[in-house]
Amino acid sequence: MKIASFVVSVWLCGSAAGVAASAEESPVPAQLPVDPSSEEQAPDADTVDVDIANQELSGDAKVRLDAARDAVVQIRSFFNESESSAFHGSGFAVDDGRRIVTNYHVVAQSVLNPRRYRLEYLASDGRKGPLHVLAIDVRNDLAVVAADDLELPALKLRSEIPAQGERAWSIGFPLSLGLTITEGVANGLVENTIEQRIHYTGAINSGMSGGPALDTRGRVYGVNVSVVTGRQLVGFVVPAKHIPALLARAQKPLDLSLSPQQLRQRVTAQVLAYEAEVLEAGPDKAGTQRVQGYALPTKISRHVECSTVDERSPHVRMRVEAVSCWLPSRVLVQPRVYVAGLYMQHRILQSVGLHPLQFERQVNRIAAGPRRVGASADVAPFACRDALISLDGFDARISTCVRQYRLFAGLYDFDVTVVGIDNTQQALVSRLALQGVAFESGKRIMERYLGALQWEP
Amino acid sequence: MGAVMLIEQLGPHGHPVLRLRIEGAGTECRIGRDLGCDIVVDDEHAAPQHALLTLLEDGRVNVRDLGTQNGTRVDGTRVPADAGAIIEQGEIIVGRTRLRIRTRHVPIGTERLFRRNFVRRHRTLLAAAGVSACIAYGGFLQWLEAPSSMLRSITLAGLVVLGLIALWTGFWALMTKLNHGGWQVRVHVAIASICAAICAWGYWVAGLVAFTVQWSVLVQIGVAIAGTVALAAVYLHLREATHYGRRVALALAGTATLLIGAIAWTIAIGVEDGDVNDVNLGPQVRLGEERVVPNRDIVDYLAEVDELQRAAGRERQKSLLNVPLADD
Repeated sequence: MKIASFVVSVWLCGSAAGVAASAEESPVPAQLPVDPSSEEQAPDADTVDVDIANQELSGDAKVRLDAARDAVVQIRSFFNESESSAFHGSGFAVDDGRRIVTNYHVVAQSVLNPRRYRLEYLASDGRKGPLHVLAIDVRNDLAVVAADDLELPALKLRSEIPAQGERAWSIGFPLSLGLTITEGVANGLVENTIEQRIHYTGAINSGMSGGPALDTRGRVYGVNVSVVTGRQLVGFVVPAKHIPALLARAQKPLDLSLSPQQLRQRVTAQVLAYEAEVLEAGPDKAGTQRVQGYALPTKISRHVECSTVDERSPHVRMRVEAVSCWLPSRVLVQPRVYVAGLYMQHRILQSVGLHPLQFERQVNRIAAGPRRVGASADVAPFACRDALISLDGFDARISTCVRQYRLFAGLYDFDVTVVGIDNTQQALVSRLALQGVAFESGKRIMERYLGALQWEP
Repeated sequence: MGAVMLIEQLGPHGHPVLRLRIEGAGTECRIGRDLGCDIVVDDEHAAPQHALLTLLEDGRVNVRDLGTQNGTRVDGTRVPADAGAIIEQGEIIVGRTRLRIRTRHVPIGTERLFRRNFVRRHRTLLAAAGVSACIAYGGFLQWLEAPSSMLRSITLAGLVVLGLIALWTGFWALMTKLNHGGWQVRVHVAIASICAAICAWGYWVAGLVAFTVQWSVLVQIGVAIAGTVALAAVYLHLREATHYGRRVALALAGTATLLIGAIAWTIAIGVEDGDVNDVNLGPQVRLGEERVVPNRDIVDYLAEVDELQRAAGRERQKSLLNVPLADD
């Protein structure tokens, strides 16, 4: 699937699908992000704002950190019997202090591969011990974990979303540098996403996933979840209002007798419930956009967003107009694997004096598309079927490829390519890519998509 | 006329390297490594005095083994040490040396009409046609790309094609020179370029037909035909450049084709096989009205898509059999 261009195009449109770029728990070696020598070389080092330098330091961050210190733990995941952690994140105690909230993606490996990954906590007083998962919420990237005999001071939850501009703090263990607090501003709910995320303008780094995001009164308004990499201080926080429902389900451990297959079925079921909602909710007829006589499906489900660009053509004697559509959020189901995604791209190619054979060549090249993305550890190979098909007003060649996920039997990737074939000077090359959907809903989306494609001179 | 026999010693490729005609009943011909023999063989598996051929009254030949360890064979059968064998014609093996014997008893057929090999006779014309077709294909491919400088691209394509033909032909011409003394350049150019042109243009036409009739088996048939053409090319080259007989040449050509095919398969398909990102979109699209297969409508096609669920499931099962999940 075309994850790379999906993310890039979404970013270019300024949308917030950057939630996709999760602050993953990468085992980054501890590195000081700032080189001290560069500070010394700064020419204005001595002329730092005198006012600020003399100002009495605000104790706010210190107060927040001291109050939360004992409630926050580092969550580390170990591969087999290894003594060095495979990756790590953060978590914090809530409720009665016996249950710890973190991100699903922090514990995903040990949920999906329980025999290969084990979880451990490291508390502020140096205590450590094994953790087990009580409940997961794949959709909101939340999980509740607990350890036997571990009771910590609990943090209070705040279910209202902070107002835009409200001061906020995030706590966690970035890059294994030790407990850290960062200060920033909560910027309200992110627009254009399906899942609620609070936009936090402040530093969140890998390892802080699952840590608490605090408001001015020290209450937890959300859970650090992700950042947009390569941008500055654009972080995302899962609102705390999703936590109580999960806690209610987390009364007893995810049954340890469950087989890995059954655990994966649970994850799959959550993904399918989410996917059914985001893909099926939509007007009866798919919304379309007219380009060069073609009606192109755009609002294939309610949440889909589109943009039209005059794309740079791969050939000087050809014009390309492109309409790209996508779902502005996806769900991470295992490290590096996102599901319940939709991407659609329609391209109208117009020959500028190319011979039909030459134009054909260009059309075929574009129809072949970019290389699909997927790792053989995560997905099985595609099964494909192509045919000539009569659509509304034009003939096309259609190729549909479907593959399954190795871990999740109920999840499918769809890759549909439609190429208009009855005109030698103008062609439609359209692609629909679905990631991690149920077969039936994939087919329904295909049906809507094919039914909406139309040509009228 | 009296008894007579013709002895031909055969070289490693089956062609005669020595001929000896012996006349008169009772005449003997001794074969061995000893310089005193009538036919001296340079063969370490032969005895100094290995076999004795005696021309009999009735025109036949008596073959006797002179008590050697390796024995003497007539048409593959070992000659009994005491009795010997009486033959009218046949192939004798002494050590590892083969000798062909003919007597008057062997009927001589009528003169065969001398047929010049077609490729040889038209070598200039065929070579010119083949090279033109190859260059035309290279140029056509460049033209399809509609490059900004058509002249430069087509010239480059032509030079590349000529270079490839020169390399391939050069090898075979050298083989011919070593085996026969002549280069036979035009013959080899004709063989190589005609076969290459058939494969190249055939590939393009096959793509066109595959889309027109929507029959993807055509691709496999095309590959089989290309393989056959390649086999024919290697066979013809071998026949021209070496002394090998038909069977040996065919066997060698077959082996070479299979080997090249296997290597190509490993590189092109074998490595990619099972690639999870590999999509098969079907034959290349041809624009316009050149189709003979009726279109399907959406409902029919979606019914076919249902089968993909099972197919994808099978792919997953295969994948899991290949590399099982670590936790199962």
